Amino acid sequence: MRVYVVDNGGQWTHREWRVLKYLGAETKIVANDTRVSELDGLDGLVLSGGAPRVGVDPGKMGRNGEYLDAFEAPILGICAGHQFMAKHLGGDAAPAKVPEFGKSVVEIHQPDVLFEGLPNRFEVWESHNDEVTQLPKDFVALASSENCDIQAMRHRDRPLFGLQFHPEVEHTQFGADIFRNFLRLCETSK
Amino acid sequence: MKFDANAFIAEQIEAIRRAVPTKAIIACSGGVDSTTAAVLASRALGDRLLAVYIDTGLMRRGETEDVAQTLKELNVRHRIVQAADEFFGALKGILDPEKKRTVIGRAFIELFEREAQSFGADHLVQGTIAPDWIESGGQLRDRIKTHHNVGGLPETMKLKLVEPLRDLYKDEVRAVARALGVRVSERQPFPGPGLAVRVVGEVTPDRVALVRGASAVVEEEFQAAAGRGLMPLPWQYFAVLLPVQTVGVHGDLRVYGHTIAVRAVDSIDGMTAVYSKIPHEVLDRISIRITNEVAGINRVVYDVSNKPPSTIEWE
Repeated sequence: MRVYVVDNGGQWTHREWRVLKYLGAETKIVANDTRVSELDGLDGLVLSGGAPRVGVDPGKMGRNGEYLDAFEAPILGICAGHQFMAKHLGGDAAPAKVPEFGKSVVEIHQPDVLFEGLPNRFEVWESHNDEVTQLPKDFVALASSENCDIQAMRHRDRPLFGLQFHPEVEHTQFGADIFRNFLRLCETSK
Repeated sequence: MKFDANAFIAEQIEAIRRAVPTKAIIACSGGVDSTTAAVLASRALGDRLLAVYIDTGLMRRGETEDVAQTLKELNVRHRIVQAADEFFGALKGILDPEKKRTVIGRAFIELFEREAQSFGADHLVQGTIAPDWIESGGQLRDRIKTHHNVGGLPETMKLKLVEPLRDLYKDEVRAVARALGVRVSERQPFPGPGLAVRVVGEVTPDRVALVRGASAVVEEEFQAAAGRGLMPLPWQYFAVLLPVQTVGVHGDLRVYGHTIAVRAVDSIDGMTAVYSKIPHEVLDRISIRITNEVAGINRVVYDVSNKPPSTIEWE
């Protein structure tokens, strides 16, 4: 299975690559201005987090918008990737009232294939100044934390998922399980 | 598909042979990364490789002797260069952590170029690992801190770089080190700029001596406590000298002494970390010993921050 990581400049982009590799996916980190045609035939895409503010600065997000428009296989947006997903598809992202750095706890409100086999509350690691403030049309919120209402979201019909927290770092509980669920989804959407 | 250390070793020995048809030097600090890279490169190149260890004057107690011993045991051709004066000279008057790191990176590269020239090498092998280049930033990625082996490099460097461990994290490097029989495979990480980034404020021989003394106590006590089963050994544990003086009382006399912060964290890859939950009896012993044995220190504090929001090292 081929699932690539689009690099938006995050500190943990390379960790996403490592987790996918450990789970047996064929993976590669690609620049965020890679042409859509070069990603043809992939089974899934991860839009990485990014340097400060890039999630709300479309100028720095390269072709992320084209991927969201054109790609049919599942896409998982993380942090900046999640914020950009919301903004690009008609929702909004803005500076968080309370930015979160480090340890936090998320609560799942809406069971989803992404969280299959996970408890409803678990410890996650955060590192964000911005957050999704308004869901795009046809999206549902899946999870929240004490200081952030939209920690996870998904499109009702299309396989588009966004996470504010970082499943790719060692200290997030069940992080690898979330990626495993995402890969299973990529497999079944083939 | 977990990481396969033996397959990695075979691949990289082949890749280093292809990359270096001539001679190379390797920058070796004696830590897990550079020692592992040195053994890989030595297996690939044999006598065409020279490992260079630079005693910057910013190393821990007994470190230079220990590194020389390790390289000897591993049968790696090597040279120890004494350069403390050069480093302290370059660091004089510098307070800014980023500036320290760049100045040190530059001093390293100048010495490596000199050593390469006398050995007749045109390649520089480094034990750079993933967090080094990730945190050093570039293009979209923000710079968290300049790692000396990345950020100190001049734009027009004559030596060609070879970095066999570039895509690995510490846990994977340790797996490679174990497979190669490297004794230091479990050694805790130690930053390239050495104790310079554990002296907040100006780096002088006196201030480095303070943090060196405190670090030795921290290492001895943590290792002893772990040996007695009081706690697991943290991923990394060390002392930091703060630029803060506070009031104390010694034998009915007022003193105005320096402060040491003790830092200990648990991590897998250095990219996230939690502060270690240390039994108070261990902290107590560390505090008593440092304030009694390291003259000039009259206060010890414990750092309870995770990464993020903090980083593991203070600078």
